[in-house]
Amino acid sequence: MAMDLSISRFWRKKVSLYRLYGSRCKACGKVHYPPKKACPYCGSRDLELIELPKKGKLLSYTTIYAVPEGARLKSPIYFGLIDLGVTKVVAELTDVVDKNSLKEGIEVEAVLRKTQEDRDSGLIYYLLKFRPAMVHR
Amino acid sequence: MVVYIEGVGLTKVGRHYGLSIKDLAAQVAFNAIEQVGEPEGIDYLIFSSALAPLQDNQLDIAGYVSSYIGLRGIRALNVEAGEASGLAAISIAKSLLESHQADKVLVIGAEKLTEYVSSKAYKQLQMLYDSDLRSFYNIGFAADAALLMRLYMNTYDVDRETLSYWPALMHSNAKENPYAMLRFAIKPDRVSKSQILADPITLLDAYPIGDGAAAVIVSSKDVVKAPLAKVTAIESSTGLGEIELLDDPLIFDSLLNAYRKLSSIADVSQIDFMEIHDSFTIVAPIILESIGLAERGKAPELIAEGHFSSNGDKPLINPSGGLKARGHPIGATGVYQVAESALQISGEFPGIKVDNARRGLVISLNGLGSNSYVALLEGV
Ligand SMILES: [Zn+2]
Repeated sequence: MAMDLSISRFWRKKVSLYRLYGSRCKACGKVHYPPKKACPYCGSRDLELIELPKKGKLLSYTTIYAVPEGARLKSPIYFGLIDLGVTKVVAELTDVVDKNSLKEGIEVEAVLRKTQEDRDSGLIYYLLKFRPAMVHR
Repeated sequence: MVVYIEGVGLTKVGRHYGLSIKDLAAQVAFNAIEQVGEPEGIDYLIFSSALAPLQDNQLDIAGYVSSYIGLRGIRALNVEAGEASGLAAISIAKSLLESHQADKVLVIGAEKLTEYVSSKAYKQLQMLYDSDLRSFYNIGFAADAALLMRLYMNTYDVDRETLSYWPALMHSNAKENPYAMLRFAIKPDRVSKSQILADPITLLDAYPIGDGAAAVIVSSKDVVKAPLAKVTAIESSTGLGEIELLDDPLIFDSLLNAYRKLSSIADVSQIDFMEIHDSFTIVAPIILESIGLAERGKAPELIAEGHFSSNGDKPLINPSGGLKARGHPIGATGVYQVAESALQISGEFPGIKVDNARRGLVISLNGLGSNSYVALLEGV
């Protein structure tokens, strides 16, 4: 599991986490993800939710061995900085068969994946991760 | 308004299994108080700790420490700004003096990072980065710096081995510093061969996980007796702080802004030395480039050529060994930086000495710059 997160926290984030919704600023035009209450660039509160592209290019990546408590079995964890064109996002990378397949510029695509199970309620949480597009796998 | 550093207390950064955060705090506070003579006249305690609630299960630690060290009745407050907490605490102390709310402030920075296994610390330290998205992933404490390091190497075509000169330089400086955690020299080529934490970041690219405490007494002009140094100006700025939000992640926007503000109120030329926030190898060149001390993409080469070292031209950078090798007890670090700088200026620093050190700059930030602080210290 990730950090100890509440059910309500996942619920609040479901639109941005499951559907990759970001915010576009109507004043300056810039897009950010996940949505804030004001544009981090110009401060305007005139924002609209937009669905972000599900495909992008990998700008940077890392293979994490120093994983936090509770995630030992999932080590290593791949994490990347992805350019979606309208904005950049960071996300866990999944379906990485060989870490040498991760390279700058490769195409990656969003997939819905399990991230955490709530032991008390039995609920399973999902969020979007990115995987290398077919040609790179 | 100029304020004065009168007394300092430092403890070696390390694994202090036998001492609690309050014990560490007491040790350095008593040392600092001894230098000013007596605790009478201290009218405020600013405590700086980020992880005390998690590592020590303690809230209002400033309140509890006050009576633990014999200062019951004093006004006290904990300051938390992640890794920038220590310099934020000194900034608050300066403001209290400026507004005549206090005349003599005891600032204690203390942090325990070794109460639990490292993987628990990795989880707690992940909180230094924006939790809105990152807390849904198991990425630990080095992921953002790792993305940044690879981006830097690719953008500027700088190779890994060139970057390794920074940790080697920090280890060489720390060897002389009795308060440093990693007091051994390393050759640059050892860095890339050490254990990988989050590639390309290895164990020798990252700050060590250690406990520590430092204290300073900050006094107004009216009450100061024997100052070590003066704090001429402190500025700070918030920033985007997230690699994905920055159009140009290879400059820390908050640091650039804080440094500009500082330059507008103080003369920042002819700096003899700096203590900068080199949490990871990659953070050092980006700081140097953000404040214009090196051209973009060129800092690693300058470092490898011996600039910023005790054999190079001024400013000398991190005579203490920096976060990399002195160590980085999160909330205490900024207080270490100021205490060491004050000693450097008074000529009493027990490690690498900077010749005629009159002017020092301290830089502290959280994460990749959600908050940045810069302070100018000078001789009195
Ligand atoms: Zn905007």
